Amino acid sequence: METMQTIRLWFKKEGLAKYISHLDLVRCMARALKRSGLPVWYTQGFNPHIYLTFALPLSLGQESECEIMQFRLVEELPLNEVKDRLNAALPTGLQVLAAALPQQDLQAIAAADYRVTLEGTPGLAGRFMAFAQQPQIKTLKRSKKGPKEVDIRPLVLACGGEEGEGGRALLSLRLAAGGQQNLNPALLIEAYCAQSGEAVKTASIRRTALYDGAGAPFC
Amino acid sequence: MLRDTIEQVLLKVQKPAQYIGGELGSIVKDRDGVDLRFAFCFPDTYDVGMSHLGMKILYGLLNERPDIWCERVFAPWVDMEEQMRENHIPLYALESLDPVADFDIVGFTLQYELSFTNILNMLDLAGIPVLAAQRGDSLAPLIVAGGPCACNPEPLADFIDLFLLGEGEELNLELCDLYLACKKEGVGKGEFLRRAAQIEGVYVPSLYQVQYKEDGTVERVTPREGAPATVRKRIVREMSSAYFPANFVVPFTDIVHDRAMVEVLRGCIRGCRFCQAGFIYRPLREKDPGVIDAQAKALCKNTGYDEVSLTSLSTSDLTTLEGLLDEMLTWTEDEKVSLSLPSLRVDNFSKELVDRITSVRKSGLTFAPEAGTQRLRDAINKNVTQGEIDRTCALAFENGYTGVKLYFMIGLPTETMEDVEGIVETAQGVVDLYYKTKEHAKGKGVQVSVSTACFVPKPFTPFQFEPQDTMEQLAQKQERMRAVLRSKKIKLSCHDTQVSFIEGVFARGDRRLGKAILRAWESGCTFDGWSERFSYERWMAAFAGAGLDPAFYANRRRSYDEVLPWDHLDYGVSKAFLVRENQLAHQSVATPHCRQHCSGCGANKLLGGPCFGNDANNTPVV
Repeated sequence: METMQTIRLWFKKEGLAKYISHLDLVRCMARALKRSGLPVWYTQGFNPHIYLTFALPLSLGQESECEIMQFRLVEELPLNEVKDRLNAALPTGLQVLAAALPQQDLQAIAAADYRVTLEGTPGLAGRFMAFAQQPQIKTLKRSKKGPKEVDIRPLVLACGGEEGEGGRALLSLRLAAGGQQNLNPALLIEAYCAQSGEAVKTASIRRTALYDGAGAPFC
Repeated sequence: MLRDTIEQVLLKVQKPAQYIGGELGSIVKDRDGVDLRFAFCFPDTYDVGMSHLGMKILYGLLNERPDIWCERVFAPWVDMEEQMRENHIPLYALESLDPVADFDIVGFTLQYELSFTNILNMLDLAGIPVLAAQRGDSLAPLIVAGGPCACNPEPLADFIDLFLLGEGEELNLELCDLYLACKKEGVGKGEFLRRAAQIEGVYVPSLYQVQYKEDGTVERVTPREGAPATVRKRIVREMSSAYFPANFVVPFTDIVHDRAMVEVLRGCIRGCRFCQAGFIYRPLREKDPGVIDAQAKALCKNTGYDEVSLTSLSTSDLTTLEGLLDEMLTWTEDEKVSLSLPSLRVDNFSKELVDRITSVRKSGLTFAPEAGTQRLRDAINKNVTQGEIDRTCALAFENGYTGVKLYFMIGLPTETMEDVEGIVETAQGVVDLYYKTKEHAKGKGVQVSVSTACFVPKPFTPFQFEPQDTMEQLAQKQERMRAVLRSKKIKLSCHDTQVSFIEGVFARGDRRLGKAILRAWESGCTFDGWSERFSYERWMAAFAGAGLDPAFYANRRRSYDEVLPWDHLDYGVSKAFLVRENQLAHQSVATPHCRQHCSGCGANKLLGGPCFGNDANNTPVV
């Protein structure tokens, strides 16, 4: 039996890399691993491929500083070496922050923080926070059986914010994330626009941290 | 900065990653540190253009030069074009995101006649006047074009300053050197073009006057201002020492051919009479297997690709193929790299070859018998027999393949309805063979996909004299195939006859057609090769507006002594040879391939000697 080591990589996806779709990211990472020459484990099937797992797919156009990708190595290597060799093989905008050994299971992810910049009219941050604190936020969520009206308010765990210059709103959101319950910040912004009738432009969305069900940082 | 404006529209379009660059392997230089900026334009989408090996070769070659920066430009898809026009974003290059209008040389590759309107559209998006005559005498931007369609560039004569004939490796650098010298000297475009016309392989259309007869055919083509009477294409004499990139730009998005590719040979020995590539890329030149292996290894290492393709017009004709595959399999299996061999021929497809491919990955099998009867295969010189098709398919089925793709053409010269029905019969034969092959995959049915293209006669082939079938004739033939098709195991697909007709017009067109291209583009034609964009009505209106009859170009038989619009260009093969081959086609007589017997096509003059050393069989007969 080969010794197998599962590596959890924390990486950043920002700048031009935010235009890489999730599917393209998977391919890009597999190629980077190949270029790095790291002794990665391949599936043993008919078409052997690198076994890669991603925690939470990021929407096109969003940035993140807490993306997770996992793969296995067939021999043990210092974690810093894994990080450095992969970084040398990655395109601009993708950067490994840390290579670690998994402590919690990926299923334990329950929430994520987002930093969002919106462009609208003065007072937007205040109006948005009031919106997020209503008892209910009904919106249409796309599902396999077609659009369905759901209340997404329980998925908004926290919403802070401050006014920026020229009608900008700088928001800090903590939203449910993971396999059980998940709220894309873009959907919350859509719901705000639908309810308020305001034309709000999303300047940026950046995922900044992941948490477990107890509200502790996921690790 | 253009970047900010581009980023503002990116999330409104499909596959935004293709419009912003930053891919691994893309080459970024300091714009102030180079003397010549070259915009390599592919007049089709990113995923088509990024699959093209020629672009990768020339991109790498030009960027090896510290004083030159070559960047990539593709035609933005309709959604992106709309955003660009709305937000005043000019056509830009992917590496620097600088406007194409600021470049020294803007070069287009001509892969397909139906991308001609995209060239006009890209120039217009760049803010460059589409007509060469309206661009004035300043040296930059110089608009050049090369690639297979440059062998008859006449329909584009109004739009392009100069054409590069043949292979670009040496020619592009010579052109850049002349450009650099002229830029330093401060000469204008007119003088530059006169000097460029003296470089072998450079064709400056404005230095040639075309006169027509009353019947509309060409009377004569007269060079001016010292331009040569005939322009001969350039070739690379020695493939093993020719430049080949050690790295590719690796795209983020899914493209058509997303893999490492190594060119293993150039040219083709076969001489299939319908195939333009088989003649315009002559003579045959093989690359040493050691060089191929090293190039493949380097590419996989640098790109991270897990598939490498050995490409050429006919890879199984590489004399060293079996040894090469043995050598490559010593590392590809360990590195989990799969090998793919496109363009295999039925007649030399061996058990060993199947074993070698399937030991890594089993992909679909594709064969091109091209015609449905032996008589017609002889006439078009596709030297493949029914026995060979059967043997190959049986071999494939024994090895677990359950699907075969067969490519045919309809509308071939001398074709009868019997030949057309033969296509379906050939496919049915393959279905029957599957069930007769005892070792076929257990419990699985067979799927035979038959794809029939409409034959388009092309310049520099023995069929350059032939009328293209009319759309009505082609439609009848498609009807007949559907009528005689019985089996549900056969999937028949037919190409659009209207698209093939337009392709036929431009393939053998003259420079008067420039007016039709201009009108078609003005009326909204772009991406004509894409069925959802193609508009037959607009094209017909464009021909009518230009006072031209498209049937004159597509459906007319040319006599052997007619002056053809491309007769002043020399691609190695002589017109006398093409006439001989045309006559043999009408007698349904095949010609042996170059290694069996030299037929004296004339292309060896480009090498300065015989193609295959001093083997008596292969010495040129004329």
